[in-house]
Formats: sequence, structure tokens, C-alpha cells
Amino acid sequence: MTMNKVSLAFILLGLAFSFNALAQVKGLLQLTAVNGDPQLSWQEGGVGLYRYDSDNDGIVLSQGLIDFRVDLSTNWSAHGVVNAYQDPQASLGFSQAYFQYQPLTSSKYKWHVRAGGFYPLLSLENPDMGWISPYNYTNSAINSWIGEEVRTVGVEATIKRPGRSFNSKHSFAFVGATFKGNDPAGTLLAWRGFAMHDRQTTFNEAVAFAPVASLNTSQLQHQANQVLPFEEVDGRFGYYGGIHWDYLKKSQFRFYYYDNNGDPAALNYSTGQYAWDTRFSSVAWLYKFTAQTRLIVQAMSGNTAMGESRGVDNDFYSHFILLSHKKAAHRLSIRYDYFEVTDKDDWTFDPNASHGEGITATLRYQLSPQWQLGIEGSALHSQADNREAMGIARKLSQQQLSLNVQWRY
Amino acid sequence: MFKLFITALFIFMGCKSYAATITIHDQNQQPLANAVVWLTATDHTLQTLPVSSLFTMTQKDRQFTPHVLVVPQNAQVEFPNADSIMHHVYSFSNAKSFELKLYREQPQAPIRFEQTGVVELGCNIHDWMLGYIVVVDSPFYGITNTQGQIALTPQHGEYELNVWHEGFSDISQTESKTIALGSAAVVYQIKQVIVPRITIGVDEFDDYE
Repeated sequence: MTMNKVSLAFILLGLAFSFNALAQVKGLLQLTAVNGDPQLSWQEGGVGLYRYDSDNDGIVLSQGLIDFRVDLSTNWSAHGVVNAYQDPQASLGFSQAYFQYQPLTSSKYKWHVRAGGFYPLLSLENPDMGWISPYNYTNSAINSWIGEEVRTVGVEATIKRPGRSFNSKHSFAFVGATFKGNDPAGTLLAWRGFAMHDRQTTFNEAVAFAPVASLNTSQLQHQANQVLPFEEVDGRFGYYGGIHWDYLKKSQFRFYYYDNNGDPAALNYSTGQYAWDTRFSSVAWLYKFTAQTRLIVQAMSGNTAMGESRGVDNDFYSHFILLSHKKAAHRLSIRYDYFEVTDKDDWTFDPNASHGEGITATLRYQLSPQWQLGIEGSALHSQADNREAMGIARKLSQQQLSLNVQWRY
Repeated sequence: MFKLFITALFIFMGCKSYAATITIHDQNQQPLANAVVWLTATDHTLQTLPVSSLFTMTQKDRQFTPHVLVVPQNAQVEFPNADSIMHHVYSFSNAKSFELKLYREQPQAPIRFEQTGVVELGCNIHDWMLGYIVVVDSPFYGITNTQGQIALTPQHGEYELNVWHEGFSDISQTESKTIALGSAAVVYQIKQVIVPRITIGVDEFDDYE
């Protein structure tokens, strides 16, 4: 494992320095000393909702990423994020890769188009390089799920009305996108529920979950015990739309409606992936009380269903409240999460209901522009109706403690 | 002896430059800060433009620093990027139209501003960024302080007093008035309503859009 870590680091560094002359390349390595919960993580086929469990105790490479931008012409640029992980096994892959067309125009309105694989920018928790959070190390339940199951491979257009051009305190952006893939999004919510972590799924990666008993029934026998969240299953286009509304930059508001337009009857037998009809609304708000203190809240509500007769049909909901205060080189961030999945179908052999809440506190210390130290404690308790059939208690309480050192350039 | 001294002093003052304090007022007789003021001599022998001078318009913390830069005609301006992210600086102004993709540690050649006028700067990546370069045909220029005052050191004589402020309704226009320097303090009142410019303060996490 140590060898893997070292070689991954070298690959990352090598890539970074070879690109640096041509492009803007940023990179980050984060090592974590973790004291995990005894409950096995979903990544290892357990029902634990944290990224790590006590099998990981020790030092892990929690983030290793390169975030680059290459200018192809005045208006065209290529963007990508390469992530190296050692959990659940050593891997290297892209979590984002897209082209951007952003013409320089004398118009007061500005516009740009992205084409490729990227995140819908619906969250205000993950503005740091490579979509990581500068606040807590462990993401909110909402953005943990976005990071693992939501990614669009498609085309997105944004029109902006910058306040600057109109000498107004209000700025607006209108976003519309259409995409392929992302059909299995919702799988983890059904059989694991929401989780809290910062493990983003890279393209073509599979995410495991516990061996849920109902997958042994004839109705669900074709479903694999893992999800390939970005796969195209039904051949249909999905879409999303969003609006950003900023008051100066003191208040930032984002609303998105996402619909992968999945055909729940569609199934890829070879990979064991269904198309889920997944749609949700997300609302996020950031407010700066002062330059030091900010509040970030987000709520998401949606529905996801699979099977010809929508045999698995779940509503899901989550919100979080995050307060972050920065004083000199210190940043303290405290977040409360609530999450739930409501089972709406009549397949009683496949209970999907789950809910829980969590609290996460993080203290970071910026040693220098390159080095940052941090400590985080997180606790959650959760209940999931499908755990009993696996011989596990329905209710779980978990804790995770970590010490982190981050290096960036 | 005393008379001689006074006479010498007058002769000295008569041919040397002196500090002229100019005060700019808005329409409500209140001091107007951040007004750009410059004097162009009616008799052009009274002023010589600096031959070559290098000025700096930095991008720091996702803003232009300084917000307003005054330079004499034909001055060269460099645009260093002090941020760790990229900027794409542009101007569509008549006085100078240009664009610069600026990476940290990849300095570009300075840009020469041959034409007088107001150059409005923007960044195509960070659309809240706003800055101005005011190009003037004068060596006597400055920006008023919070008391609306600026001290310039021209020689006695007749000058055109020019004033520009970012709150002007048409930022490509200036106000001007002919004045005779050498006597009383100069006070100039702006003829139009100053519309305050919105400044959008940002931090390192506001790029995510």
C-alpha cells in the first residue's frame, strides 16, 4: 500500500510539472491520520456511512488531485481533474473533463458553454480546486451524494448578467444543460441511503454497497451489487436548469432542477445497471455576515425509481446548515446534516427507507500558502430498514476522527 | 536686505513650479474623492510629457489594483497577476482595445497607451473585476483624496483643468475648465450627478460560478 501511495504521488507530480509550462495546473495532496468507526464502510461492502472504518486506521492518502486548464485558443479551453485514491483500492481517474467555450464579447451579457463531463454547479460547499470543500473535510450528505452519483456528460450553456456591467448589486446567471449517462443515479440512495464523505467517483468507476438481501429476489436478480453511476442505459437525454442570484458577493443563491429523464424499465444486463428515473430540486444559499463569518445552507428534495412498474420508488430529502468562521490563519466550520429516504413502492421485500443526521466540526490551520493542517470530528446516527435482513442493527451511531495535512501548489 | 529677500522669493516663485491645491466638489458642494484631475497647459512649452515611463496595474485578490490608474500619454503599463489563478484582462474602450491572458509567473510585455482617454478594464473570467486607466496628455495629474483635494506642481500660467470620475454618466467624457494658476486656491464643482459605482468584494471561494 505504501508503494502504491508513493507511486501515485509521483505520477501526480510528474503530470503536474510536465503540464505547467503550457497550462494552469493546480495540485493537492492530502494525507489523513484517521480513527475510523468499527462499522465497515459501504466502500468495503458494509453499511457504514463514513468513507473510512477501523480497517483504515493509520495514514491514508485522502485526496490526491490535479486540476488543470489548458488554453486551446482565445475562446476555447480544456479543463480536467485527475484524482488518485487508495480506497477502496488504488485508482487514478478523471472526475471532470470538459471543454469550455467562453467568447470575449463587448456585450454586457456574458455567456459560455461547457461540453464534456462535469458537475452541475448547484452547490456552494465545494468551491475549492477539484470540487473539494475548504470547510469540512467530510462533505455534507447532499454533496457526498452529488460527488459519488451525479455527473453529467453533455453540454451546458450559461448566460450571465453581471452586476458590474449594469452597475447593479445583483448578478444573475441562467444555466441549461442536456446530457447522456448518469442513468443509475439513485441506486445508492435506495440501498445504502445518504452517506457523509469526500470520495468523488471518477468516470467509469464502480461504487460498491452492502449485500442487500432483496437483491437475491427474482425481481432484483439482475441488479449488480455495485453502481456505475455515470453509465448510459436507456439512450435518452436528461436535462437540468439552474439560476444563480448574487447580491454583491455577500449573498449567493442557487436553484437547480435536475432530471436524468431515465427510463426505469431500461436495464443493462451485462453491467447489472438499471436506468433510474431520478429528478430533484436543489436550493443553496451562502451568506457572509462579515468577511470572516459565513453561513451555507442547502436543501435537496427528489424522487428516484427503477423497474418496469417502478418497483423501487423512493423520495429523498436532505438539508444541511454550515457555519464557518475564519480568524487569521484558522478556520472553524461546523455543520449539521439531516437526510432521509422514503420508500413509496409496495415491494415490501425491498425496504429502502432510511434516515439520519450528523454533526461535523473541522478546525483548519493555514501554515503557509502551500501547507494546511486540520482536525475533524464527525458523528452521525442513522436508521435503515434493509439492515436487519443482513443481520445488522437497524440503527447505527458512528464517529470518525481525523488529522489532516494538505499540500497544494 | 529684507526687501531683497522678498524680491528674490517672488522671482523664485515666478519661474519655478509651485504646489497648487485643487479641490473638487460634487453638486452638493461636498468634497469628491477619487476624481482624476489633470492640467493641460494652453501654452504647451509649460509642459513636457515624460519620455518613457512604466506603470503597473496588478490583479490581486481578484481585483484590479489600483482601481484607477492615471498615466501620461504613451506610457507603458504592465499587468502582473499576483493571484494563483488565471485572469483574462480585456478592454473594448475606444482609447485602447486589447486582451491579455495572464498566468502567474508568465509575464507579458507591457502595453503602450498611445491615445488619451478612459480605458475600462474587465476580466473575462471574473466578471465582477473592474478597473480604469485614464490616459492624459499632461505631466500634472493625480487623484483627489477624501477631502476632494489634489496638490499639483505646475508653473504659473493658464491651464485647462480636466476632471474625470468613474461615477460620470458617460465614462468616456471628461469635464474641463480654463483656469489661471498662480493666485487663489482652485475649486471646481462637477456639473453632473455622480452615480456611485458598485464595488463587488470577493474572496478566494467566489470563483465557483
